[in-house]
Amino acid sequence: MAAVQETIDQVALIDVDQYKYGFETKIEMDKAPKGLSEEIIRFISAKKQEPEWMLEWRLEAYRRWLTLEEPTWARVNYPKIDFNDIYYYAAPKSTPGPTSIDDVDPEILKVYEKLGIPLREQEMLAGVKTSRIAVDAVFDSVSVVTTFKEELKKAGVIFMSISEAIREHPDLVRKYLGSVVPTTDNYYATLNSAVFTDGSFVLVPKGVRCPMELSTYFRINEKNTGQFERTLIIAEEGAYVSYLEGCTAPQRDENQLHAAVVELVALDDAEIKYSTVQNWYPGDKNGKGGIYNFVTKRGDCRGKNSKISWTQVETGSAITWKYPSCILRGDGSRGEFYSIAVSNGHQQIDSGTKMIHLGKNTSSRIISKGIAAGVSQNTYRGQVSTHRRAENARNFTQCDSLLIGDKCGAHTVPYIEARNASAQFEHEATTSKISEDQLFYCLQRGIPEEAAIALIVNGFVKEVIQELPMEFAVEAQKLIGISLEGSVG
Amino acid sequence: MNMQTAITMTAAETALVDGYTAQIGELPGEGAVLSARDTLLADLRKQGLPTRRVESWHYTDLRALLRSVPAVDPTAFAQRVDPLVAGSSVLSVLNGKADTKGAPAGVNVRSYAESLVEGVAAADLVERDADDAIGRINGSFVRDGFEIEVAEGTELEQPLELQLVQSAGQSHTRFPVTFGANTKAVVIERHLSVSAAPSLVTTVCDLILDEGAEITWIILQQQGDADSHLAQVNFDLGTNAKLRLFVINAGGKLVRQEVHGVTTGEGSDFKLRGINLLGGETHTDVTFTLGHDVPNTTSTEIIRNVLLGRAKGVFQGQIRVAPDAQKTDAKMACNTLLLSDDADFSAKPELEIFADDVQCGHGATVIDIDATHLFYLRARGIPENKARAMLVNAFVDEIVEELEDEAVIEPLEAIIAAWLETHA
Repeated sequence: MAAVQETIDQVALIDVDQYKYGFETKIEMDKAPKGLSEEIIRFISAKKQEPEWMLEWRLEAYRRWLTLEEPTWARVNYPKIDFNDIYYYAAPKSTPGPTSIDDVDPEILKVYEKLGIPLREQEMLAGVKTSRIAVDAVFDSVSVVTTFKEELKKAGVIFMSISEAIREHPDLVRKYLGSVVPTTDNYYATLNSAVFTDGSFVLVPKGVRCPMELSTYFRINEKNTGQFERTLIIAEEGAYVSYLEGCTAPQRDENQLHAAVVELVALDDAEIKYSTVQNWYPGDKNGKGGIYNFVTKRGDCRGKNSKISWTQVETGSAITWKYPSCILRGDGSRGEFYSIAVSNGHQQIDSGTKMIHLGKNTSSRIISKGIAAGVSQNTYRGQVSTHRRAENARNFTQCDSLLIGDKCGAHTVPYIEARNASAQFEHEATTSKISEDQLFYCLQRGIPEEAAIALIVNGFVKEVIQELPMEFAVEAQKLIGISLEGSVG
Repeated sequence: MNMQTAITMTAAETALVDGYTAQIGELPGEGAVLSARDTLLADLRKQGLPTRRVESWHYTDLRALLRSVPAVDPTAFAQRVDPLVAGSSVLSVLNGKADTKGAPAGVNVRSYAESLVEGVAAADLVERDADDAIGRINGSFVRDGFEIEVAEGTELEQPLELQLVQSAGQSHTRFPVTFGANTKAVVIERHLSVSAAPSLVTTVCDLILDEGAEITWIILQQQGDADSHLAQVNFDLGTNAKLRLFVINAGGKLVRQEVHGVTTGEGSDFKLRGINLLGGETHTDVTFTLGHDVPNTTSTEIIRNVLLGRAKGVFQGQIRVAPDAQKTDAKMACNTLLLSDDADFSAKPELEIFADDVQCGHGATVIDIDATHLFYLRARGIPENKARAMLVNAFVDEIVEELEDEAVIEPLEAIIAAWLETHA
């Protein structure tokens, strides 16, 4: 398998401090003053030229947030965050908002080039890639460019930054924003509702199969800024969309905050496939720096026979707190969650999903693979529940953990709640280390230990990798190899 | 949790706090014992009963579920019943009053009231952790129980039955039990209720198994439909010690059985087998934690639940593997037959692993009776209700069969059959 060989090569090439997206770019930024207050929220709202209702919505969330306490139930430890020591808005001076590719600051374009994200449509058409991907590039607090907009428009698909959508399609945004993750949902979601700066908006109209993969690439560049993205994806009756999300940040000694909210709405017979490759800066090998990633992602299978599928590859962030969930409201709807969470160094991951069965004949499937190395802590936390009237709910959950080294921890905390006799839930979890037999087999054939581990790990996560769109699958495989670099010996 | 401090006390909380003031003069023990009780009660008053916000009580909101506490009833009358297994030695606790007569040879028994009076019990009266509501209530009010020592090398031919019979009111008892090296015994901890009047029973058993001890401990809980039963078993396994713990719940209105253990000796093995027969309005919670603290220890846990009527069932199981506890082998399974749309079951099987060379796993299932199994039996002319009963019986009987000793298996099977007869 070429991909496996590629992983081995990657692992062999890279040094101990392996984060390759850690570069910083000097770009003159337009920033709001540090700290959080109603003034800052008004400032953000004004910068984005938002309508009055949006500002009110934000302020209401902010007032509520002030009354909330930071949750402590997750298995992650970090010093208390000073929410007043963060910049909530930072935009490149040269490119304060979405624009055409020719007007984007060349420095920013260079950043994306370095990251390997294609922003020029013609480059993508030149045959470098086999399939085309429309990209919304979010740089700190603003979306700088969205590609293929015109072509998507012809198909009826709306794909733009959420700031633009608030201005151009206020009714749609107003109808759906906060309808899956209400402003009252949880501490970080409430904070996000108050201060979110950019993200993507997607609407695939009735009966349309989105002609290309959509993707958003998030980059945190500026020091001491928090990134608060907000993404909203709606698939109308019978529509289909596949959406990818990628993230990176520079290597810094301070921790930075990323608190995102993603809402998906699938109407009757619609399908949304949401894939994430999360590769925020994880901190150095001594646990210094890294992104705090507190994310609320939720999909609402609102229509009958709708389907939402989450696939995530989590390799970055110092702390991950993330539970992409599905509310299976429509009869016959289906939710899926495929996850690979790799932790190394001092990373702490507390991630999983929620499958909430409300409609009749709903089904869900959870495949979670956790890999812990170094002195990291890796927790799967998931909930499967049925409503009393949710007849014939089906769930299958499998969460496996692999431990590499004796200083790390792998934990599994599932919550299983059955309230209907016709429910059928199956849950399995295992934790083990890499089989010595398998390792011996590889070593004996002359494969070096680290490469052998990468090979075995790739086998372990294969079920999830297969769910990713092809371009991402290769990328994800490389990432996993890189993340585990230095975990042996 | 500090959030609860400002909340006004519920009827049950008030009854407990006021009850303490009323009883304090007659509770055995002074000095250190008294101050340990005071500390526990002060914590109970300060924190209140746990709510679902307390993670380990997430599915059993004791504050909401324990609506009232029956008054202490000194006039209540209870008497011994025949042992479950003919020929067993019986140590009885009648309405919370322990009778030390009946101990077999090699088993040294004294009443826990004496330990309280002498003050040696003071060291026991502490909380396991900040969420230990059972330890807190029991420790505040404990009046009696048994302190049992099984002498090194003792092998009991017949089971030892600890028979707790309750007719009304409250009883709070403790059982520190030490099994000496290489002892072998079957102990049946049996909870019965002989009246329809509501009662509150709390027990704490602290089991220590020395090197090579092989013990089977069976908890059979058959309290009444109005009773609250809050029980805790703590155990510590020495080198090569083996404990098989059977928990059978077939009664009670509000039941929480906690099992907390640690393996402190290499080569030790623990087995938990649970059968929860839940019908009517019961809320029954089995909460289990096990710390594999040293290398080379093993454990398996199998819990089978049958739910009917409006019953609510909870299983929480947590296996922890300490950083150096390599070669741990731990497997946990929780299988539930949910037979009623009004019943509900919640499970939280947890793994917390800090060592890499381990084999740990857990599985949890919730299903109705398999239609193909039912069809198989129906096709052979067995009426539906009978076929269902057979399948349910087979589901739990598998666990009982593991006891191997027919003398113990038979009466337990009879109890299960009788329960299914009246509830299904």
